[in-house]
Amino acid sequence: MSQRVERASQWIYTGIWAVLVRWFRVPDHPPTLPTAAGETADSFRPAPGFLNYLTFHFWIYLVLFDGAVLIGWIVVTALVWWLGLLLAAPALVVAVAPDIVAYIAIHLRYDTTWYVLTGRSLRIRRGIWVIHETTITFENVQNIRISQGPLQRYFGIANVLVETAGGGTSTDAHGNQIGASHQGLIEGVADAARIRDMILVRLRQTQTTGLGDEMDDGQPVRRFSPAHLAVLREIRDTARQLAETRA
Amino acid sequence: MSMTLNSTTAANRPFDPTAITRPSPVLLKYYMLVSLVGGPAFPLVLLPLFCKYVTLRYKFDEKGVSMSWGVLFRKEVLLTYRRIQDIHLTRNIVQRWLGLATVGIQTASGSAGAEMNIEGILEAEPLRDFLYSQMRGARGLADVETTATSSDPVVGAQASADDEALALLREIRDAMATLAGREAPP
Repeated sequence: MSQRVERASQWIYTGIWAVLVRWFRVPDHPPTLPTAAGETADSFRPAPGFLNYLTFHFWIYLVLFDGAVLIGWIVVTALVWWLGLLLAAPALVVAVAPDIVAYIAIHLRYDTTWYVLTGRSLRIRRGIWVIHETTITFENVQNIRISQGPLQRYFGIANVLVETAGGGTSTDAHGNQIGASHQGLIEGVADAARIRDMILVRLRQTQTTGLGDEMDDGQPVRRFSPAHLAVLREIRDTARQLAETRA
Repeated sequence: MSMTLNSTTAANRPFDPTAITRPSPVLLKYYMLVSLVGGPAFPLVLLPLFCKYVTLRYKFDEKGVSMSWGVLFRKEVLLTYRRIQDIHLTRNIVQRWLGLATVGIQTASGSAGAEMNIEGILEAEPLRDFLYSQMRGARGLADVETTATSSDPVVGAQASADDEALALLREIRDAMATLAGREAPP
């Protein structure tokens, strides 16, 4: 029985997804970032724990909301029995309809959230009706914040907030991003520490404050250029090949 | 749920942002649709948007970008690529239907909103990736096919051929390559 329900809901969800892709032009492929030769871009969604976390919230709100509707209906029925009978069907609709919408919205939110990380920058895509894509280079990052509540710890996820210079952050009480601002929120990832370390390594390498130019125009830069790195990578590969043939 | 992929935003023809001076006519269509939301106030909403569309000019050069618009009250925003902090590409449903997008560029000034919103560009994604390639920390992605035009003076200057360190590295690489070729079993 439950398997059949699951399969049916899966089918409905696929249908909704197809409609979104076809008629609402929701991109069905992950975002990409331009990469230098030899560099790879890693695109991933939030951890599965994030979906469980959202679903857990959903069940709590469902029990609270439907409980309130049920109690209201019982009170009405106890007072005026025919009014209660009359209101039974509308009450059921009020109790169930928002749940279905919310449940689908949770899955869509999870499926449309993408993060892309390369060695030098990150890109975040979020949203269904309005799709936001934020691109930030690590060079411009001012600080990184990791937050994890007890529930998030239970589900093994954490939020990484990457902030660039400039004020006027527009976040709500839960630290969720509203609209465009000087930050990128990597929400619900299992390996927050790895992402933090990756960005930190890059941050420590830069000698500037991330506030614009580093005066490298017309002057030689004392740093490895991508051309250097490409040749260095080739040397590494050749060295590996040498080591393998020797072995 | 993780997959590795190389850059695939490939547009085979090179994207040249300096050719962009005016928004696409589709933007006017978008503005009309937007002003329809105003209902009876439709003309009042459309008029400033129409003026903005008619007077909107973009100028992309090798150092930065400027945009200007306005009839009675004229506005001009200028910024250099190197001072870009983050780039936002925003597409609402109507924009997606029309193939449009808003490219928001933020500098380190104090406002929460974007300092410059580039509207009405049909090639918003290549433009975004071009701006990204000119950003601090992403410059020198010269060998990326998606954005770099080889004639671009900014990008081209990065890898100077007479760089001594680079020449040395290349020599080491070639020496190792011949060594590896000799070692390899026939």
